[in-house]
Amino acid sequence: MNFQPDLAPPQLLAISALDFVWIVVGLLVMFTFLSVMVLVQVWLERKVLGRLQRRLGPTRTGPMGLMQPVADAVKLILKEDIIPAESEKAIFWIAPVIVVVSAFMIWVTIPGSPDAVIQNLESLGLFYIIAFAVVGILGLVLAGWGSANKYGTLGGLRAAAQLISYEIPVIMVVIAVAMLAQSMNMKEIVAQQSPYPYVLLQPLGLVVFFIAGLAEVGRTPFDIYLAESEIVGGPFVEYSGAHWSVFFLAEYLNTFAIAALTVLLFFGGWSGPFLSGNWDIIWFFAKVYAVILVIFWIRGTFPRLRIDQLMAFAWKVMVPLSFYTIVITGIYMFYNWPPWTLTLMSVAGLVVVAYIIYRRLTGPANRVAEIRARQEEQRTARQRGREAVAP
Amino acid sequence: MLYSLKGLWLTLVSTVNGFREPVTRQYPATGNIFKRREEPTPVQPRFMGFPALTWDSEVGEPYCTSCMVCIRNCPTQCMSSNMMDNPLQQEGMSHRRKIVDTFEINLNRCILCGICVEVCNFDAIVMSHEHEMSTYQRNGDRVNLPVLLDIGRKFQRENNWVPPTVLAKQKREAEAAAARIDAPEDSV
Amino acid sequence: MGELVSQETAGSVGDVPERGEPVEMLLNMGPQHPSTHGVFRLVLWVDGEKVIRAEPHIGYLHRGSEKLCEGEQYHQIITLFDRLDYVANFNNELVYCQAVEKLMGLVVPERAEYVRVILCELNRIASHLLFVATMGLDAGAMTPSMFCFRGRERVQTLFEAVSGARMMHNYFRIGGIKEDLPDNFEQLVADLLPLLREDVGESDRLLTFNEIFLARLKDVGVISTEDALDFGLTGPCLRACGIEYDVRKAEPYSIYDRFDFDIPVGLDGDCWDRHYVRVQEMYESLRIIEQALDQMPSGDVASSLGRRLIRPPEGEVYARAENPRGEIGVYLVSDGTDKPHRVKVRPPSFCNLSAIEHMLKDSWIADVVVILGSLDIVLGEVDR
Repeated sequence: MNFQPDLAPPQLLAISALDFVWIVVGLLVMFTFLSVMVLVQVWLERKVLGRLQRRLGPTRTGPMGLMQPVADAVKLILKEDIIPAESEKAIFWIAPVIVVVSAFMIWVTIPGSPDAVIQNLESLGLFYIIAFAVVGILGLVLAGWGSANKYGTLGGLRAAAQLISYEIPVIMVVIAVAMLAQSMNMKEIVAQQSPYPYVLLQPLGLVVFFIAGLAEVGRTPFDIYLAESEIVGGPFVEYSGAHWSVFFLAEYLNTFAIAALTVLLFFGGWSGPFLSGNWDIIWFFAKVYAVILVIFWIRGTFPRLRIDQLMAFAWKVMVPLSFYTIVITGIYMFYNWPPWTLTLMSVAGLVVVAYIIYRRLTGPANRVAEIRARQEEQRTARQRGREAVAP
Repeated sequence: MLYSLKGLWLTLVSTVNGFREPVTRQYPATGNIFKRREEPTPVQPRFMGFPALTWDSEVGEPYCTSCMVCIRNCPTQCMSSNMMDNPLQQEGMSHRRKIVDTFEINLNRCILCGICVEVCNFDAIVMSHEHEMSTYQRNGDRVNLPVLLDIGRKFQRENNWVPPTVLAKQKREAEAAAARIDAPEDSV
Repeated sequence: MGELVSQETAGSVGDVPERGEPVEMLLNMGPQHPSTHGVFRLVLWVDGEKVIRAEPHIGYLHRGSEKLCEGEQYHQIITLFDRLDYVANFNNELVYCQAVEKLMGLVVPERAEYVRVILCELNRIASHLLFVATMGLDAGAMTPSMFCFRGRERVQTLFEAVSGARMMHNYFRIGGIKEDLPDNFEQLVADLLPLLREDVGESDRLLTFNEIFLARLKDVGVISTEDALDFGLTGPCLRACGIEYDVRKAEPYSIYDRFDFDIPVGLDGDCWDRHYVRVQEMYESLRIIEQALDQMPSGDVASSLGRRLIRPPEGEVYARAENPRGEIGVYLVSDGTDKPHRVKVRPPSFCNLSAIEHMLKDSWIADVVVILGSLDIVLGEVDR
């Protein structure tokens, strides 16, 4: 046996002290920057939702209520951190950490521009992102179980079911994109989209990714595991103060991440018609915030699905559609057809599924026509009766 | 799908309208931190706030004679009062023989029903427009005669209050005059 | 809270249930739950997400209103009726005043009747708007609630201009109303109606036929016509089962026989039908208000009773009316004094709520709040 005991450890510690300092500084910058982004997002959500509902939104703190998220954060941090007596203390403590760490870890490899990235993983950037997206589920389940609250447990189990189900379409669509780009490197994927962003090639993929992504981060109409009106906040029901704010932070970070991934995978990332070079990060953030505004818009419009409908939607609609995405991508690449054929196949799939869903769901609307016809009948009958009495 | 898209369109239009003309307004002050303008919620003329006692400025005394009719008719028994001989009447300045000595309303018990105003025979009590009267003590909303008169005077000043009996009398006279004009033969 | 398995099924501690055997968990919903519409408590026995059994508990808002009525004079009781169903105050005042008027044989002036009808129908719209708002919130949509509250706010501002109070009006009197309408009332209502129609229409378009909303409400909380009649459901809950029963048509009180309006009905008796019936009723109420405004005469608004103390003759009377929630009845016994001997209310919310145990059987946890919301209970009336 030829042991080489001094080979592996030096490999691990091959970074110099300067590199280490740079990594720490980079992480700190990322942490601060993302926290600020979350604050901006919170403010934007409250303001936009307010205007959507023809309210003013926050106005009292700072000009246009700009300091509202800061005030929220200060209030949450100063609040008493209550730990239920019967909770599993260790699990209760560790759960928010798991959730927020995984939410931050995703951002290590998401590039805002070719240079604005902590560590671009050359061969497996997408794989890393998907892998860390799943870890957050563990935190939610632990939070629900550890707080020894039945609503929390229900919420945690709902989160597990929902997030794992919607992970599959997300992964499948990401595979389709990786096939198109022939790479898992985020920079490479963006570079491949230079003539046409993938939204033109693969609109079906965008729809599936966006909807599944919404479910992944628990935004309306898929906020089943939070369900304010049913299970009172789900896994977060027993959390307060700083712990709760950590969950909150993770939730908004994930929303931000899904928007960023949508932009990177389908909208050409930081590329735009002008403002190239060092300013291309502006394009990235403009696109990301546009996607976030769409998420807020959807939140302001739709009610929430029920858990069984949600699962049925995942397994009966989203998963087959994501497989279809892979198949058409494979056919397109194998036969080397022109790009518009992929677009055509994608749109065709989308239209067929939309029509099937439309036909299935218009049942009640037809019943309304029936109700109205019956009422009309009764009304004429009454009128006839009145006329008969009148003379 | 169709109705969902319609809903999305509706909320989009609503957002545009929300930026153009929001329905809500800031309270209690409008503007931003640099330029604040106190602007309390407008109330309707008939708004029933907390009850208050009115002040007869012609004589310089309250209208209330402490006849207890409001106290007996109050559904929640939130008032109490005492009566005294009116010193001004002895001096010949007032026609009221008795006058209110003390009057207390527990505004926390008051349900703002307005029955006291309706039953009062002396125009002595009104439902003022006062409604922001929170205090930090449990019994902090027990108000006595001077406070009630203050609120009442404020209400009278701001609304050009005319005693309801005077109003009714004017209306009766106007009607009678109108009747005389309509039928001059009868009056002759 | 720590114990997740109820004692009855789990047997001794550490008894692991067989694979596939349902594990019952006892879930306490309320009285501090955001969507139990007040202080209502439901004890649910659930197996995962499925509700096996439900047990409602009421009484957290019991104020003894009926007993309090026995200690108050007749004109003071109106304030107590305001506080029964605190989102439909005018309708409650109306039914009480009608009971006393029936006992005394009073004739209410024409104009007062019209004022009463207009205000009651406006209040019905305000109440149903609140229903649509909470229904949307229960289903997870937050925007319809804001739209509905906008309309409700407009109605309440009108009420404030008329009666001086936004909610507890104390405006109807035995034999009339308190004082005549403000001079600009017709202008106010004429301005209000198109806005109100727009508000109702906006929330209707946003919510009623939304696919997700339909999926959440259709075929949920179904109650058959026979069961609905057996449980004594009234109002929109009964009409959702397809029975065209409305006290305004079945036994016209006040002047409701003079107006032309329809009774909206559903087909299946599920939550969506209950929602749909209420939305349609708002449009019918708007029709009634328009007709009443056209026909409204001038004249006195109070009977010759004046401000005299009311002493109805000895006897008993039962008056009923159609509240936004269903049929409200007042049974009143007078012993000839200035205070009633007994006042009994038949509260529609209470009778409608009695069916919830039946409706909740084999539903999902998410359906519980929707079913409860579709019954549109007001706890002030349930507990009295």
